[in-house]
Amino acid sequence: MRILIVDDSSTMRRIIGNVVQQLGIPKEDFDEAEDGVIAWKLFQDNNNYDVVLTDWNMPNMNGLELVKTIRAVDKKVPIVMITTEGGKGEVITALKAGVNNYIVKPFSAEILKEKLDGLVKV
Amino acid sequence: MSMSQEEIEALMSGADDLEVDEQAEDTSTEVSDNDPICEEKADDSAEIDSPSDEIDINDILSGIDGIVDDEVTDDINVDDILSGIDGIVDDEKPVESSDSSVSKMESKIDDSQYPLPVSDENKVVNQLNEVADDSEEKASQIFDVLSFILDENADITKYNKNISEFIEKQTKLLESLSQKFPNVSVFNENLEESKELLNISKELGSKVDAENNKVFEAMELMQYHDINRQKIERVMAVIKKLSSYLNGIFEDDSGKAEVQIAKHISGDSHDIVDSDDIESLISEFSNE
Repeated sequence: MRILIVDDSSTMRRIIGNVVQQLGIPKEDFDEAEDGVIAWKLFQDNNNYDVVLTDWNMPNMNGLELVKTIRAVDKKVPIVMITTEGGKGEVITALKAGVNNYIVKPFSAEILKEKLDGLVKV
Repeated sequence: MSMSQEEIEALMSGADDLEVDEQAEDTSTEVSDNDPICEEKADDSAEIDSPSDEIDINDILSGIDGIVDDEVTDDINVDDILSGIDGIVDDEKPVESSDSSVSKMESKIDDSQYPLPVSDENKVVNQLNEVADDSEEKASQIFDVLSFILDENADITKYNKNISEFIEKQTKLLESLSQKFPNVSVFNENLEESKELLNISKELGSKVDAENNKVFEAMELMQYHDINRQKIERVMAVIKKLSSYLNGIFEDDSGKAEVQIAKHISGDSHDIVDSDDIESLISEFSNE
């Protein structure tokens, strides 16, 4: 399973990567991007991701813009928003933009595992 | 060089004797003032005094390695010591008279140099940005350490598994040997030891698992670094907006030249002279 992790914080990317590795996905199978622009480039270049995990607030291109950009070309790839934005309005906005699931930071590894398991099974 | 336990105890017993000495002095004072019946007790207390008179704390300390007399003597020049240490910068300013310091401060305020000059490194947003970046770098280093521990634990688990498998085989072998040769005690003894080692190996495995869980917990907690960074970024955004607003609202686009402002105006709470003060000043300076 190929995963794209998008977050401007290198620490967060590593935390998420670590959980992903605990699920048995090797490090070679996931890519990291520090903003939406780089993520979009990786997405276009590879076009083989099974899941996209993205933060919301990032420089250059934020997560919401990234979701909309991806959804314009790919309606199927599962996208999970992992963000500090915990308002109901933000969740609705993200869901309307096309995210499949939403996780508010800080989250436990178990939560991310459950969400990823659910997406993979679907 | 550190102190040995004996040396510490010697020092402690010296300190105890000194305490007894102080208590004895107190007791003797009270006794002499009050009850003549207690004079004998006072004498006893005085006897306690006598050995402590011989104890000199400095003698005890001088006999112990590693104890340095850190009392500052008059001969030590602090400036000489500081000058010998790298990175110590003398930023102490000479004391000025109050009048000149006030005028210089006003001058610094006029030149936007007070309390700090408006340089890149003093700008609040820049400072916060630096804190956020530095924190990110250090968090990444902490993560490296945690990852290292996880990697090492993975190796320990792997080696422990190999050891455990070997011990299991040995246990089975010893079980069959002890069944076939029940009279050979060495088989039974080794079987028991083997079972014990197997238990230790299992315990080691569970300890490593518990340690891994704690490391994962620490990694999860490191999310607060990102959350706190975003809080700092939110403060930075507020400061930027506030700065922009204040610049806008205080902006002077009238084109008028800056007027000299009055320093003391009637109604100010202090430093205002009244008619009598003026008269006395005039008479003092004889300008009538």
